[in-house]
Parts: sequence; structure tokens; C-alpha cells
Amino acid sequence: MAWVTWRQHRLQFLIGIGMLVSVAVAALATGLPMHAAYHRDALSACLPPTARSGCDIIVHHFQTEFGNVLRAVRYLVFFPALVGLFVGAPLVAREFEQGTYRLAWTQTVTRRRWLLSKTVLLAVATALGAFTLSALAMWWRHPFDVLEGRMSPSSFEVEGIVVPAYAVFALCLGVFAGLVLRRSVPAMCAALVGFFGVRLAVAKLLRPHYLPARHDMATGLTPDSHSHDWVLNNSIVDAVGHQITSGREDLAILHARHARIDASEYLLSLGWHRAVTFQPGSRFWVFQGVESAVFILLAAAIVLATVRLLQRTPS
Amino acid sequence: MSPALQTRALGKRYGRGWALRDCTLTIPAGAVVGLAGPNNAGKSTLLDLAVGLLAPTEGEISVLGRDPWRDAGALGSVGYVGQDAPLYRSFTVGEAVEFARATNVRWQPTAAHEFLARLSSDRRISTLSAGERARLALGLALGKRPSLLLLDEPFARLDPLAGREFLQMLMDGVAETDATVVIASHVTADIERVCDHIVLLTGGRVRLEGNVDRLLASHRLLTGASRPLGRISGVREIVRRRHSGRQMTLLARLDRPIVDASWSVDRIGLEDLLLAYMTPEQLPTPRAHEKGPLRWHG
Amino acid sequence: MIEFHLEPRSGVAPYLQIVQQVKEALRLGLLDVGDQLPTVRDVVADLAINPNTVAKAYRDLERDGLVVARPGRGTFIASTLAAPSLEHHEMLRRQLKRWLEAAEQAGLDEESIRALISTTLREALVRRVA
Repeated sequence: MAWVTWRQHRLQFLIGIGMLVSVAVAALATGLPMHAAYHRDALSACLPPTARSGCDIIVHHFQTEFGNVLRAVRYLVFFPALVGLFVGAPLVAREFEQGTYRLAWTQTVTRRRWLLSKTVLLAVATALGAFTLSALAMWWRHPFDVLEGRMSPSSFEVEGIVVPAYAVFALCLGVFAGLVLRRSVPAMCAALVGFFGVRLAVAKLLRPHYLPARHDMATGLTPDSHSHDWVLNNSIVDAVGHQITSGREDLAILHARHARIDASEYLLSLGWHRAVTFQPGSRFWVFQGVESAVFILLAAAIVLATVRLLQRTPS
Repeated sequence: MSPALQTRALGKRYGRGWALRDCTLTIPAGAVVGLAGPNNAGKSTLLDLAVGLLAPTEGEISVLGRDPWRDAGALGSVGYVGQDAPLYRSFTVGEAVEFARATNVRWQPTAAHEFLARLSSDRRISTLSAGERARLALGLALGKRPSLLLLDEPFARLDPLAGREFLQMLMDGVAETDATVVIASHVTADIERVCDHIVLLTGGRVRLEGNVDRLLASHRLLTGASRPLGRISGVREIVRRRHSGRQMTLLARLDRPIVDASWSVDRIGLEDLLLAYMTPEQLPTPRAHEKGPLRWHG
Repeated sequence: MIEFHLEPRSGVAPYLQIVQQVKEALRLGLLDVGDQLPTVRDVVADLAINPNTVAKAYRDLERDGLVVARPGRGTFIASTLAAPSLEHHEMLRRQLKRWLEAAEQAGLDEESIRALISTTLREALVRRVA
């Protein structure tokens, strides 16, 4: 089946390689100057503990200069989805559309082995490609990771081992959609919607809870620096711990102004202080591991469902 | 020798309609079977069930003694060519052969391979004619050295020459592999030449089944003056009747030769026999003026 | 080697046609003792008919003693038919020519001659079978 998989997907493979190469070229083209600038300006010395005067300006300048490309890197989150779309969805759907399932599934190779062999081989290739992409992103983002951390979603989702996990999941989801819907285009749409739906659900509902979040009670109203952490909640709470809505806060400030006392002192006297809920940046790899495991398990479950469905009603 | 294909009360339902119902058949090994019937009679459904692409809704089917749906190994000895000879159009001929080799445990080029060799292995399948594609698909199926070969409407898109070439390759393959063949075709003339066994399906049910020689020997066209019909000695069943003025024509299934002199008795050809079973309104006129064998009574 | 042809609409079973063509060839002297008949596969690949048909024809011929099957080597002619010698052919042909001239003189056209010949032949064959 290795030859069959290669022969049927070699165009996709070559396109994938091509895209990787273009991304790599773009990354190098934009990244090398950025890294040079980073080292030239010794920006690593501008981290909070050793911050020196003028750092603010330098960092700000650096961020603005390379901000555009930084935003472009965010689009790498779409690459795994593309795999699901263009490799996974047509895998089974095209066989139905062109009637070639009558050739493929009447040989000695069982339907199950046909599907599993193809899916596994493609998943391995996908994982390798996605990992390369992730490595590129990690190299490129290094200065920003140092300055801003990488726990926040925009960097978490394009670095590390989650990228191959997303891609493999997208592939398997695409294959399943193709089997259910039997037409490539509807399967692509379903795979797209399903993929981003699941990703969003995991990012919003599961990821904040992989480990219990840390709470930081500041003594004052200004938050400590959590620049490298993933801040989940940043608000003012009262002495008991209830969150103060912005309405109440505005009311209190108005009251203070009215009474001609300093607003912050007044809030402090009420027992209010800032509370930050966050996931520390040091947990980056733990979280990467958990999230990857989630997606790999989902992928495995989908493959199982696909095989079960294949055994039951192919035509 | 165990039958190549056997079904018992086999049925397949799609939604509210039955594509095949109450189908009980035994196809002997070594036969060349014509699966005849109009479009949507259930021929493709029967073949799909036999090759494990569909699961029965009711009843059973066994192919070479095994269940094609559950038993994955059954397909190793079953060759199948679907309608319009499905092939990967972007593959070359050589790659198609490689595909067959890669997806089958046992694959040996047969004499059909000569044809495959004559086709340049670099030619893309999309550039082949319909006849070449049909023969390529057949060659791939024969390469499995199948004990049972299933063909779904292989002549549908072929011109007469291509159809003849296909049949030549098929019969040569049968002679070489001793395979049992089931050919589904809604054009009886295409398969009349080679079939020794016939199964007629209409509306998803088996209308007629049996050895061709025996069927032709046991059916006769009776022509005579119109009259109320009682029992005619020798006739087991009147299959169809037709009145035209003062004359009536019957298609009768006999168990003994007819001795009643008031009937003129003629043989019937296979195509006409099948048509008569398919369409009760039409009955062929006896071919009284044909050169050839003697007309004999009985 | 003899080449067979098939007349699908003749009403004669294919295997019988093959038997008849072998006998015809023997009668005409086109096949002699020791000549090999085409293999089943050759016939089938040429005529696109059921291999069982050819096998049946060859079995019939073997039963009649006309051919013998040598496993692994083929099917060979074993004996010829008792055929009238060529002088008989020539004599019969001359007689037929004279008869045809007489029929023409009697005023029969081609169609009538054919009808007369076929009905008389049929009667003779029926008498022979009966």
C-alpha cells in the first residue's frame, strides 16, 4: 500500500513540500534581519529584571518594526487545516465521486487495511511537515518569545508539538467527513468547520484548565508583570474576592473624585486589589503535551469511527 | 464441485424500495453465466453483493463457499470489473498493473498480459479508448487468477469490434484459468454467444434461471387457430400468449414433445425467450421462413 | 490448420457447427490423418465462444472416432470419413449440370429450381431420419 499511497498522493506531497519551502524562504527572508536586529540592539538585556532605561523604547520600536510579519505568522494556524481539507477530505470522497472504489475495494487488500495504511502513511508525512513548520515558527519567533513569552494563544498554537497534532487531527477528520458525505467539496467544508470548531472549543474550554490556574493577589492595583504568562483574567476584586465590575469601579472612582481624594487610595482603602488569574509560562511544554495528547486521542477516535463506518455501509 | 455462487432468499433494500428480493440461485462452477434483464432489474446489485461492496438486507450469499461481506479473504479469488471499467484515469498502464500487483496477494500476468504488453506501459489511462480500458480492467482482474469473474455491463460502451475483442480476451482467460464467469448485460445478443447458463432478473426478482440448452429445449412457440385453452398435452406451463385476429401464439414450457397436430411448433432463440419472459405483451413471431434446420413437430 | 467460423443465427448449435466444419474439411480432403486441430484456446481466442463448446465438439468427434486427443500435445485427426472419391464428385457434378439444363429448358427460373431442390432434399432427409 505504500506505493499506492505515494502514487495517489504524490502531487499533494510535492505541493506540500513546495509550500514548506516557500514558507521557509519567507521565514528566512524576514527572520534573519529580525534576529540580526534583535542581537544588535541587545534586546535580551531588556527583560524586566535587568531592564535598563530606554528599553521601553527599543522594545517598542522592535515590535513595531516586525509587527506585520508577526501577524502573518499567526496565519500558520491555518496550515494544519489545509491538510485536512486537501488531503483528508478527498481520500475517500474522490473514490466515490469517480467510482474507483469499485476498483480499490475489490482487491485482496481489505477496505480496512486500505484505509488504515493510507491514513497512517499520510499522517506520518503530515506530522513531519507540520513539525518542520512548527520548528520554523519557533526559530522565527524566538526574539518575541523571549520578550513576550509564548504561552498566549497566538504563539502557543504555532509552536511546539501541537502543530503536528492539529494537522494529524485535521487529516483524520477530513477522511471521516469524506466517508460520510462521499463528495469532496462538502467534506472539505465539513472538515473545515469541524476542525476550527474543535480547536476553538479546546482552546477556550479545556486549555485554561490543564493545570489549576495560579492566582496572583497584588497588594496594590497595578498588576505584576505577567508578560510571559498566559493571563486568563485580570480584574479588580474586593476584600472578599468578588470581582468588581467596571460599573462599580467607575462608580467608586466618581465617588472618590467627588470627595476629592485620590482614586487609587480610595479603592485600596475599600480593600480592593488587583487579582490576576494566569497560567505561568513555565508550563509551556506541559500544556503542549496535554493539548497534543488531546488532539492525537481525538484523531485516533475518529479513525476508529471511520473504520467502523467503512465496515458497515460503503455503497 | 461446489457452486461458485449461491444465494438464498437474498434481498437488498434501499430506503423504501427493494433493489433485489427473494433471490435464490445456484451457479455451478465452470459455467459462463449471463445475468440478463432490463436496466434497474437488480443485476448490478447482485454483483455488488457478490463482491462484498454491499451487505444483504436479508437472506444469504456465498461466493466460493465464503461470505463476501464478512470474509475479507474471499476476494482473493474473485475478479470484478465494474460498469464502465473503473480505473484511475491519471495512472499509466504500467502503474495500473503495479496497482493490481500491490493490492493483491496473488497476481500473475495471464495471457491477457500480452494485450497489456502491447499497450505501451507509459500510456495514460485517460488516453485509452473505451475498448482498451475495458480490456485493461479485464486483464487486471484476470491477473488475480480468479475462480469467479464478475463483469457488470462490460459491453455498454463498446462498439461491436471492441466488444468482440473483449469477448475474445475474456474467453481466452476463461480457457486459461477455468474461471466461472457471470456477465451482467441488458443486451442479450452480446452474451448469447458465450453463455451456457442464464439468469433473468426483472424488477429485482429472478424470472428465469437455468442451463441454456435445457431452457431452449424445453420451450416452444405454438401457433394455431385462436381457441379457448384447455390442457395441451405435453405443455407444463403456458408462459405467454398473444392473440392476433384468428391466430394465437403461445410460449409454452414443455415436459414432453407436442403431438397435437392443431399446433404448429417452433423453437425459440435465447434472446426471444428472454424477451418473452421480460415483456408479457410481446411475443415473437415464429421464424417460419428461415433457412436452416428442418421444421419438425415435437 | 483449419479455421472455424460461427454462424450465430443459423439455428445450429455452435458445437455442432464445429463438428460439421471438421467433417466437411475431411470430406473435401482439406484435413488428413495426423493433422492437428486448433487448440481450444486458439479457437476461443479467435471466435469468442465458450471453451466448453469447443471441448464438447472435440469430445463428440473423438467419440465418433474421427479425432484423438493427446494430452499435452493437442487434438489430432485419427481417420477420414468414408468420402466418395473425386471421380464420384466429377460424375455427380456432370449429372447435376445435365439436370439443371433440363430444368432450364422446362422453363423453371432460378427461384423455382432452388425451391424444388430444397423441398426434395428435405423429403429425402426426413425419410432418412424416419
